[in-house]
Amino acid sequence: MKFVVYQVSRKGGREKNEDRMGYCYTRDAGLFALADGMGGHPEGEVASQLALQTLAARFQREAQPGLADPLRFLHEAIMTGHHQLLRYATERALVDTPRTTVVASIVQGNAAYWAHCGDSRLYLVRGGKLIARTRDHSYSELQDTMSNVVPVGEKVNRNVLFTCLGSPGKPVVDTAGPLLLHTGDRLLLCSDGLWGALSDAQITEQLARRPVSDAVPELVEQALRTAGAKSDNVTVLCIEWESAESGQAAAGVSTQNLGEQVFASTIQASVFGESLPEELDDAEIERSIREINEAIQRRT
Amino acid sequence: MSKPKPAPLPSGTVVGGYQIVKKLAAGGFGVVYLAEDSKQHLVALKEYLPASLAERSAGELTPRVKPDKQPLYRLGLKSFFEEGRSLAQISHASVVSVLNFFRENETVYMVMNYLQGDTLQDFIITARDLKRDKVFRESSIRSLFDEILRGLRIVHQHKMLHLDIKPANIFVTNDNRAVMLDFGAAREVLSKEGNFIRPMYTPGFAAPEMYRRDGTLGPWTDIYAIGACIYACMQGYPPNDAPQRLEKDRLALSLSRLRNVYSDNLIEVTEWCMSLDPLSRPQSVFALQKELARETERRYTKLSFSERLKLQLESLKTGAKA
Repeated sequence: MKFVVYQVSRKGGREKNEDRMGYCYTRDAGLFALADGMGGHPEGEVASQLALQTLAARFQREAQPGLADPLRFLHEAIMTGHHQLLRYATERALVDTPRTTVVASIVQGNAAYWAHCGDSRLYLVRGGKLIARTRDHSYSELQDTMSNVVPVGEKVNRNVLFTCLGSPGKPVVDTAGPLLLHTGDRLLLCSDGLWGALSDAQITEQLARRPVSDAVPELVEQALRTAGAKSDNVTVLCIEWESAESGQAAAGVSTQNLGEQVFASTIQASVFGESLPEELDDAEIERSIREINEAIQRRT
Repeated sequence: MSKPKPAPLPSGTVVGGYQIVKKLAAGGFGVVYLAEDSKQHLVALKEYLPASLAERSAGELTPRVKPDKQPLYRLGLKSFFEEGRSLAQISHASVVSVLNFFRENETVYMVMNYLQGDTLQDFIITARDLKRDKVFRESSIRSLFDEILRGLRIVHQHKMLHLDIKPANIFVTNDNRAVMLDFGAAREVLSKEGNFIRPMYTPGFAAPEMYRRDGTLGPWTDIYAIGACIYACMQGYPPNDAPQRLEKDRLALSLSRLRNVYSDNLIEVTEWCMSLDPLSRPQSVFALQKELARETERRYTKLSFSERLKLQLESLKTGAKA
């Protein structure tokens, strides 16, 4: 597999960023996921983090190095995340359960599979055209669909979801795929901070026009600008399938030379309280070197 | 495939205040140099320069990494830091000590004690080429591993595992100390969940659980490798790798060849360490140390006629040396 991946998450006007994103891959399969922890319930950032960790942990266990049944994997791993949230709330005796949306995609053997619960979306753009998009599990999107059949009254708040992970009822998980990928296809996962501020046409157009390393930050900027001071968290993870790597500033990933046992991940499978692992940037490198030298000093 | 290896820094180059004397070794992770510090003390300088990911032409200082290799390059850097962190915490004669760690030429360097001597691997090859019935004397094996196990105990006490113990990573200094090298695969036991990448393993010395992603690693994993090292010291060759053994286990058979050459006790200890089931091995270094240090009278059992016959048949089948 060969792809370029680019991800950005911004807090916007909110106090916290409750969105989480990440990806992991083996030689034969990749998992891309994004979750949006829900406000109005406790610990939204824990909910989104937990959902992603569960996905990544199961992926690490089951992708050996490919998945036997990607759609079943997505469905089960998302449901496991839901049960983890319920358990988390029970163990800590929380009055209410942390809740989150989730959208996840598996890429394996030239095909994409995806699943979602809630209103975080997946867009698939090919050659300037929107090929596929998830339908939100919200009343407004349901109404849009229904209004073509029967006239409906006033629209309700688009933010009201009829399903999510961590809710008392069993979550609705929609799965789709396999869909064969073409070279240059863009697969974009985003939270409602992006699509709430930008139209599908705007998202498609940006994605089609430029390499993902330019398009993604530009989309996020546009969304933040449009939404203004009250902007929601905006998170986007986008991959470009089998792109020609030359001239790309974004990190390209090529998995064919990986061993069967290699598992790489940007999602930390750790306990709570710890923050997400930062990319190993310059500051992190400096910090590691300083820590090591401090340990040497202590010893001598 | 035929990508040229990155060029080592030429002799005389100064990095981080250390002047390079010569290149000592190059591996997949990078290059080790002999260098001199500002007080003319010799040190070993390890440069992070993974051959498959970085490029450097002769005469250049800064390695280049292609954008699509960046993620793996950074992952490797993490384990280079892991090694530094592990070594920095430990101060023991049997564990190589790290003196400094710095960044230059857009990569990182680890300064370590310079040890004069040879690896256990070199000793095994030299000894086995003499073609005597014994590769090493039993008393040498026992005292060598007693020393190594003392160091390993400290490593485990720091909640770390070495995970790549093999004769090439055991150094025997000219003043007769055994020192463990290359903690590149070392991982803190407690943070194993956050592993980005499974440690590399060396066939023959890696325990079966190293080959499995859900395998629980523990002190018993290093103990398997110790057993394999003892085996190599007696046999002159590494044992079959774990997947091969899971298919058809010839360990007991090949160990029986050593009967009457080495004591029953040493052979039994080796077999105990190398149990395929992690729970059947000594569960701690201490348990193993006690067994190895037992100075009772050594018993030797000759092979029976039928056993010798079986061995010969097996040798005919596999074409191996008896």
